[in-house]
Amino acid sequence: MTRVAILRYPGTWSERDFQHALSLVPGVESDILWHEDADLAGYDAAIVPGGFTYGDYVRAGAIAKISPATRALRRFAEAGKLVLGSCNGFQILCEAGLLPGALVRNRGLEFRCDWVHMRVESDKTSWTAGLQGAVLRMPIAHGEGCWVADDETLSDVESRGQVVFRYTDERGGATPASNPNGSLANIAGVCNEGRNVVGLMPHPERCSEALLGGTDGYRVLANLAPAMAGTAPAIYR
Amino acid sequence: MMFTATIRVFPKSEVRDPQGEAVRGALRSLGIAVSDVRTGKEIIVTFEAADENAARDAVGVMGRELLANPVIELYEFTLIAGVPV
Repeated sequence: MTRVAILRYPGTWSERDFQHALSLVPGVESDILWHEDADLAGYDAAIVPGGFTYGDYVRAGAIAKISPATRALRRFAEAGKLVLGSCNGFQILCEAGLLPGALVRNRGLEFRCDWVHMRVESDKTSWTAGLQGAVLRMPIAHGEGCWVADDETLSDVESRGQVVFRYTDERGGATPASNPNGSLANIAGVCNEGRNVVGLMPHPERCSEALLGGTDGYRVLANLAPAMAGTAPAIYR
Repeated sequence: MMFTATIRVFPKSEVRDPQGEAVRGALRSLGIAVSDVRTGKEIIVTFEAADENAARDAVGVMGRELLANPVIELYEFTLIAGVPV
């Protein structure tokens, strides 16, 4: 059994969606943990869901980064355990320094609520095993998802294979038109150097069963059940 | 003793400031030929510290750990003893 902790901060809104999506994955059980007393002992993976923690005050994710849960998460990540952050969770992980770069206001200032395509650029993370080169279709819903970094960081992230997801068209072409928010190099998700922490702006939990219009999120989350890695879509489509 | 810090946080020059660009467009539509606009924010903090050095150190922690993200922002501050009237 894989045990997954789902962190809930004030203003988190996707924790129950994640719990539901994970309930579809055989061999995975999850708990929602309140940020003030989140004890990650005994868990194999932690998820930082989307939302608007602390009303996005100061910057998206800035206040959540000094929460007790984020301190626990830092130790958890340093111990090599798996961490996934989606949307506001990605912003929190970048603010906390667990992932490179930062997420700023979308180019054009629009809040984007849409379906996007993205290509899996690296299967060398526990969340993307078996998915190298796959073009996934997932929903986004964010106003501050434009990933930026200085030239040196961008160059490092690219050369070390830390780009995990890149916005593309449905055929896998990383065109300007397929970039929903102005992110540098169409980057939709990155990992840390240790490759155990992954963040992305799209929402895998919102496309994990056919009823919701897509199952590509399930292909990511199903990697938590080792026997399922990369094979899930055949079952769920 | 009490101190008041006025901390100004603004995006680094190489980081795009879409809010500033929108304000620039709006100002131009008012008929003012502005060439550039950069936006930021000002945060005023009143707090207790042993002396001015301790107060400066405390403001440094505030700036680095919360108020500014060093990846995209810079901050600067002024510090006065006492509480603003």
